[in-house]
Amino acid sequence: MTTQHHSHLEDEEVPITFAVEGVVADDMPAEQFVTRKTLGWGFWVSIGWLVAIITAALLAPVLPIPDPGVDLSSDVGLREPPSTEAWFGTDALGRDVFSRVIWGARISLTVGFAAVAFGMVFGGSLGMLSGFLRGWFDSLTGFLFLTLLSFPALILAILMTSLLDRTLFTICVVLGVLGVAPVGRLSRAATIQFAEREFVTAAHTIGAKRGRILIRELLPNVVIPMGALALLGMAVAIVAEGGLAFLGLSVEGDTITWGKMIADGSDRREIEDAPWVAFFPITFLFLTVLALNFAGDKVREYFDVKEISV
Amino acid sequence: MTLARQLALRLGLFILLLLAVSMITFGAMNLLGDPLFNILGPISGCEDAISESGESVTVESSDGLAQNCGPDQIQAVQDAKEQYYLDKSLPERYVRWLGDAVQGDFGTSFANQGESVTNIVRDKLPVSLLLMVMAQTIAVVIAIPWGVWAASRAGKASDRVSTIGSFGLVSMPNFALGIILYYVLIVRLGWFPFRYEDDDLWSRINSLFVPAITLALPISAVYQRLLRTDLITTLQDDFILMARSKGVPRRSVLFKHALRPSMFSFITVFGINAGALIGGTLVIERIFQIPGAGSEIVTAVFREDFPVVLAFVVIITAGFVLLNILVDLLYSILDPRVRT
Repeated sequence: MTTQHHSHLEDEEVPITFAVEGVVADDMPAEQFVTRKTLGWGFWVSIGWLVAIITAALLAPVLPIPDPGVDLSSDVGLREPPSTEAWFGTDALGRDVFSRVIWGARISLTVGFAAVAFGMVFGGSLGMLSGFLRGWFDSLTGFLFLTLLSFPALILAILMTSLLDRTLFTICVVLGVLGVAPVGRLSRAATIQFAEREFVTAAHTIGAKRGRILIRELLPNVVIPMGALALLGMAVAIVAEGGLAFLGLSVEGDTITWGKMIADGSDRREIEDAPWVAFFPITFLFLTVLALNFAGDKVREYFDVKEISV
Repeated sequence: MTLARQLALRLGLFILLLLAVSMITFGAMNLLGDPLFNILGPISGCEDAISESGESVTVESSDGLAQNCGPDQIQAVQDAKEQYYLDKSLPERYVRWLGDAVQGDFGTSFANQGESVTNIVRDKLPVSLLLMVMAQTIAVVIAIPWGVWAASRAGKASDRVSTIGSFGLVSMPNFALGIILYYVLIVRLGWFPFRYEDDDLWSRINSLFVPAITLALPISAVYQRLLRTDLITTLQDDFILMARSKGVPRRSVLFKHALRPSMFSFITVFGINAGALIGGTLVIERIFQIPGAGSEIVTAVFREDFPVVLAFVVIITAGFVLLNILVDLLYSILDPRVRT
């Protein structure tokens, strides 16, 4: 009786200490046999979605979809719910929402790529140089990064977009500038970490020039953690464009972005009469951000990168 | 380093940062924009036009409107230059602005001439602050029980579901979540008012509830993930086993023994996250048409009303940096080991 009672108690209460099995790898015998790290199927599903959406965006001009700016109200109607004629319905101006989502992907993904590329090139090189040279240059870039980070990100973006012409190029640059400090800090930390390793000392010893050490020895090692940050950063940039669109500060003119579509579709009248106008771009935006976050997280886990904060 | 010295160092850096931030903002606005034009409109070109031809002429502004230039207009231009110190050099104007700003006077608005920027800030900022405080409170109230619950059953099916759920929430842009909640809770169910109501504190809280939830849910997911990870590590410590074996109830082990030493990442991110929260608030205010700082900044940006933009940028940035210093202090209070 007593033993039975006892085991019953254990079932109920012990999980505090033992339920963590399989999560923390320390001293768990079973963990020893899980030797090879894998990216998992979730990673490949995410990559699959990203490849599909990028392909659709690239092929938009040749896909059999209506022109995103053309008024279909005579054939389909204004604010028509999704149907076989217009898969995602039509908006207040009779334009095909499906076609606009695909065309919007072109700009939104471009913004993501370009902003991240800008942040990587400028932040990455500044960070690597400051981690490698140290001294006054390191102090200077350190203060620059700190200043950039002490602005709440969107405030900095609003400031810059309000002072510049809002072309696609400036939006990409503005969002890229937001990435400079986080990328710079990460690449600096990674550079410092590797600069003390034996292979770098060895390169110094055999008389390699500093530029060669930076590019041939350090860069390949710094690129991996930056890759994980790049995926997460793309998600941040795409969402940030959406935030700017809501403030009316995204790309000017007829250029279609997901953010602008969602902002247009979220007018009181629109959301009441034609919720699909906002909900389809929201769904695409969400799935893309989810895929980028998930893939970025997996890459980080896979390569065991620790110092990432976006 | 003692706590006092650490604090002094941080405050010094804080002042240096604020100077840099205000200088950059002030400089960029004056160099890239045209303050005189923003105050007076087309007649700002009068002085140049007259000095060239020597008599009264008509200038055409960029939007095609013809403006007559006479002695009155010239007087207006000169008055405005004097009032806004535009005849002084840029560094001198910055020093004057700074001198006024530290005394709480952020100048006068360009758009509503004569209106004090300090009054505008005093009018709009509390609404946004209330929204942010509500959002952070709701986020913490959700995150702590959720994190503890998930950590106590780590690895089980229910924990996996909650992990997927929190990952999805983290990936949800706040404006998208805002529209969905607006549609469901306000348009479809009609549980909350359409417009911001400003009758008393209760009506304010009631009309800020949906925006606050919108901001809180993604943040609570971020907090929950951190708390869960840290708690799982703490729960493996010997003192937890000790507490359990001497018969301390499960709930009390989780909330009293394990929670406090597991709060560090959570608290660090609490400060960093404030930046994202400020950005989110600006956007969410637009969606729910709340007359707070966010709406005011955007209006000011479109009118190129620089004194208003500058004041909000400097005040918000100061608050953000100060909060991060407080978080650092809280950190060393929570964990005496940091005070080395």
